[in-house]
Amino acid sequence: MSTIATLKRRRRLRHDWIWMVAFVLPASLLVVAVQFYPLLFSAYLSTQDWTLTSSQSSEGFVGLDNFAKVLRNDVFQRAVRNSALITGTAVTLEMILGTALAYLAVGSSRTIRAVRTLLILPLVIAPVAAGTLWRMMLNSQMGLTNYLLSFLGIQGPDWLGNADWALVSVIIVDVWMTTPFVLLVVLAGLSSIPDELHESAALDGATRWKSFIYIDVPLMAPLLLLTFLFRMLESLLSLDSIYTLTLGGPGYATFTMTYYIYTLGLRSFNLGMAAAASWLFMSFATLALLVVFWLQRRWQTAQ
Amino acid sequence: MLSGNLAKIAAQRSLRMLALAIACLVVLVPLGYLVLNSVKPQNEMYTIPPIIIPSRITLEHFEAAFNNPRTLRFLINSLTVTGITTAVTVVVSTLAAYGLSRMGLRAGLLSFVVFIFLFIRFYPRITTVIPYFLVMRQLALLDTVWAVIIGHLGITIPFVTWLMLIVFQDLPREVEEAAEVDGANPLQRFGLVALPMAAPGVASAAILTAFLSWNEFLIASSVTKRQAQVLSIAVASFVTDRGVQWGPMAAMAVIMIVPMILFALFVQRYLIRGITLGAVKG
Amino acid sequence: MKRTYLFAMLCLLTVMTLISSGIALAQEPKEIVATYMQAGTYDKAAEELVPVFEKETGIKVELIVAPWDVLNQNHITDLTTGTGAYDVMSGEFWIATVFEHMLPLDDYVKRDNYGGDFIERIWSPGPSNFYDGKRIGVPYSADAYGIWYNTEIFEQCQLKAEWETWDDYIAVLDKLQTCLKGKDIAPMVHYFGQIEQPAAIFLGMYDGYMVDKNGNYALDREKAVAALNKMQSLLKYNPEGVLGFDFNAGNAVFLAGKAATMVGWPSFIRANADDPAQSQVVGKWAMAKFPGPGFPMVSAWNLFISKYSKNPDAAWEWIKFYANPENGTKFMLKYGIGSPFKTTYEDPELLKTLAHFLPGQLQNLSRAKSLPWTFAAFEAFFRNEGDFHQGKITAEEMLDRVQTEWNEIKVPEALIQLADAQGLKEK
Repeated sequence: MSTIATLKRRRRLRHDWIWMVAFVLPASLLVVAVQFYPLLFSAYLSTQDWTLTSSQSSEGFVGLDNFAKVLRNDVFQRAVRNSALITGTAVTLEMILGTALAYLAVGSSRTIRAVRTLLILPLVIAPVAAGTLWRMMLNSQMGLTNYLLSFLGIQGPDWLGNADWALVSVIIVDVWMTTPFVLLVVLAGLSSIPDELHESAALDGATRWKSFIYIDVPLMAPLLLLTFLFRMLESLLSLDSIYTLTLGGPGYATFTMTYYIYTLGLRSFNLGMAAAASWLFMSFATLALLVVFWLQRRWQTAQ
Repeated sequence: MLSGNLAKIAAQRSLRMLALAIACLVVLVPLGYLVLNSVKPQNEMYTIPPIIIPSRITLEHFEAAFNNPRTLRFLINSLTVTGITTAVTVVVSTLAAYGLSRMGLRAGLLSFVVFIFLFIRFYPRITTVIPYFLVMRQLALLDTVWAVIIGHLGITIPFVTWLMLIVFQDLPREVEEAAEVDGANPLQRFGLVALPMAAPGVASAAILTAFLSWNEFLIASSVTKRQAQVLSIAVASFVTDRGVQWGPMAAMAVIMIVPMILFALFVQRYLIRGITLGAVKG
Repeated sequence: MKRTYLFAMLCLLTVMTLISSGIALAQEPKEIVATYMQAGTYDKAAEELVPVFEKETGIKVELIVAPWDVLNQNHITDLTTGTGAYDVMSGEFWIATVFEHMLPLDDYVKRDNYGGDFIERIWSPGPSNFYDGKRIGVPYSADAYGIWYNTEIFEQCQLKAEWETWDDYIAVLDKLQTCLKGKDIAPMVHYFGQIEQPAAIFLGMYDGYMVDKNGNYALDREKAVAALNKMQSLLKYNPEGVLGFDFNAGNAVFLAGKAATMVGWPSFIRANADDPAQSQVVGKWAMAKFPGPGFPMVSAWNLFISKYSKNPDAAWEWIKFYANPENGTKFMLKYGIGSPFKTTYEDPELLKTLAHFLPGQLQNLSRAKSLPWTFAAFEAFFRNEGDFHQGKITAEEMLDRVQTEWNEIKVPEALIQLADAQGLKEK
C-alpha cells in the first residue's frame, strides 16, 4: 500500500472516530447521569450516619461503621442465609428442569412448537403479578393448589403460613417464573451442536444418555455455567415477587437480602445502613460477574 | 423384534408428550385460575373449600376497574413509559453499540466497557433507588412519567447496547467496507448497510425492552406518587391493610398481563432470539 | 410478511405512545391533594365526597390512593424533603417520625368549635395525634381490637361470653373445646398469618411499659414472657393451619359459622357478617369485651395537613367535610369504617338494628390505646414474634432479638409523649 493511501485511510479513520464518539455519546451520558451518579452517591451514603426520618441531612461521617453494623446484624445474617437457600435451590431446580424440558421440547412439529410457545409464557408476566397470582394459588384454605391436592388424597401443607413451606413457596414461584429462560437458552445451545456428532455417536452404539453426557454436556458446559450465574444474580435481586407473595414472612422466614435492604431503605429510611448493605451485596455481585466475564472470554478464545 | 422397538419408541413418545403436557398444565393452570378469579362474584371469592368455577361469570371487577378513572391513567402511563423507553433505548443503544463495535477499540478496553454494561444489568437496583429519588427531586421530575422513563433508560440502555454489540460484532464487515470505499460516511454505513442487516436483532432488543419496562416495579413505585403511577403498582396495591382484594386484583393483573401475552405470542421469534442472544453469544 | 407486520406494529405503538403521552402530560393541577390508603373503604368514601365538596366549596380536590407501603414511603420522602406534594395526608402513629412536619390544627379547631362530637378517648392524645402538645391530626376512623362470638354456639354450649381477663377467656375456650368436640367448629379464630396482626393480642395481655424511663423502647421482661406464652397457648384453640390465615381466611371461617369466637378488627367483618349473601351468622353474633389486663389496640386514621401545603385553609375545609358525625354514621353503614363519633353510638335507630355491635364496640373503643412504636420498632416486634409462633425460638429469645433491634432505634419525641400520655412509659 502506498504511503499516501495509508495516510488517507488514517485521516478517514480519525474522521470516523469522531462519528463513532458521537454515536456513543448519548448513551454514555445517560448511563453516567442515571447510573453512576446515584451509585457514587450511594457509596457516599454508606459512610454517613443518616436516617431520613430523623434528619433532613446527614448527621456526620462514620467511616465503615455502617458496614460493621450491617455485618454484625442478626437480621442481615439471616437474610443472607435465606437468600442463599432460596437462590441456591431455585436456580439448581431451574437448571435441571429447564434442561430436561428443552430436550423434551426439541422438534419442529406443530404440537411441539405450540408447546414451546405455552411454556415460555411465565417469562413475560410481571413478577409483581406472578407473586399475587401464586398468593391466591397457595392460600392453604382457599387456594387452588391444596384443593387439587385434596383430590389426590393429599392434605396440602400450610404453604404461606409455615416458615419452611413459605420458603418452598418462594422457590416454587421463582422456578415457575424462570425455568422457561433456561429452557430457551438450552434449546439454543442444542441447536448449535452439529447433528453429525449425535449421528456418529449413535452409529458407535452410544445411548441417548451417553451422548448427552459425553457430547452435549461438555459442549454446552460454558453456556450452562453462564446461565447458572446469570440466573443466580437475577434470583438474588428479585424483590417484586416476594413483596407480593409473603412480605418476607412469616416472621423472618423469607426475608431475603434484597428485602432487608428494601426495608432498611424504603421503610425505615436508614439511608446509611441501607447503602452499606447494598454495597456489600454489590461486591458479591461484582465478584460473580467477574467470574462470568472471565468465563466468557475464555470460552471465546477457546472457540 | 422390530415391533418391540416400535412399541418402545411409541411408549417413549407418549411419555414425552405426557411430561410436556404436565409442564403445560403447570404453566396454564395458575393463569387460568387468575382469569377465573377475575370473573368470580365477590361472595364466592373467599370460601372454604374454594369455589373454583364461578357459578356465574361477572364482569363487576373489570367494570369497577374501568369505572375508576385512575385505571385509565395507569394504563396510559404504562403505555407512555413503555413506548418512550423502548423508542429512545433502541435508537440510542443501537447507535452506541455500532459506534463501540466500529471504533477499533483495543480488546481490553472493549472488554472493560462490556463489563460495565453487564455490571449495570446485574447490580442490586435497590442501591440507587434512594439517590435516584433525590436526583429526580432536585430536577423537579418526581411523579412525572419522565422520572420513570429515565430510570428505566438507565437499565435498558446498557443492556440493549450490550446485546446490540454482540449483534454488530457478528455482522460480516465486507459490505460495510465496500460502502466505505464508495465514500459512504459512517452514518450512511450505519443506516443503509449495518442496520438493515441487524434488523432482527433490533426487533428483539426492542421487544425485550418493552417487556422490561412494562413489568418494572421498584423504580416506578419509588419516584411516582399519583400522576405517574403505572400498572405494576396498581396490581400490588390490592394488598391492603384489610387483606388482599382478590377480585379487583385479579382483574387488574389480567389487564396488565393479557396484552403482554398476546404481544409475546405475536413476536415470539424475536423475543426468543433476544432472550437467548445474551446468554449464548455473550 | 413478518416485516410488514412488525412495521405496522411499531407504527401503532408510536401513535399510541404519542397520544397517551399527550394525555399523561396534560393534566390540570388541583387545588388540594389528599391521600388515602387503598382499602376499598376510606378511599371509596373520599371518592364519593369529592364531587359534592367541589360543588359546594369550589375547591378542586385530587385524591391519591395508594397501598400502605407506597403511601407511607411517599409521605415520608415528601415531608422530609419538604416537597409539599400533598396537602391533606392520612396516617397514624407509625408516621410519628415525621410529625414535626405537620401543621398544628388547634387554631382551626377553636375557630370552628370543632371536635365536640368525637368519642372522648378517640379525640385524646393517642388515637388523635399530637406533637409538642399541639393537635396535628383529626381522626376519621376508629376501630378497636375486639372479640366477637357466635351466639348460637354459645347457647348450645350453655356458656356466657363474659370475661374480664384473658385467663377468663381461655377458661371459656376450654369449655368450648369440650363442648365442640367432634364438630368441625373451632373455639377461636384469628388471622395469625397476617404477619403484623397477632401483636395486637400481645398488647391485650401485656400491661407493662413500652418505653422505659430513659425514653428507649423496652418491655417489662417478666410480663412480656408471660404474655407471649399465653398467646402461644391460644393457637391450639384455632383451626388447623391458622398460622397461614390472612384476613380473608380468618373472616371466612367465622362467617361460615365454623368458629365460636374471633379476635380481630370488628370493622373488617361487621358489614359482611350482617350480609346474608356472605354470611351464615346473620343475627347470630355479637361483640364481647376485649379482655385485659392490657388494652385493645386502636386504629384511628388521622387526617393531617402538611406544613408545606400551599393551601392549608382549603385543606382544613376538606377535613371538616370528610370527618363529621353525619359522615361517620353514613360511612360506617356503607363502607364499614368504624365511626369515631359518639353520636353514631347514641343513635336510637341504630341502637335497635346494631344492638349486637354498637355497645360492645363503644366499650372497647373507650379503653383503646395507640401504639407508641415506629414502624421499624413494630416490624422488629412482629417479625420476631412470627418466628416465635413458628416455634423457631422461645419467648425469651424473641425478646432478646427484639431488644437488640430496638437498641438501634431512636424513639421519636412525639411517640415518647404519646406513650406517656397513655400510661405506657415506665414510671
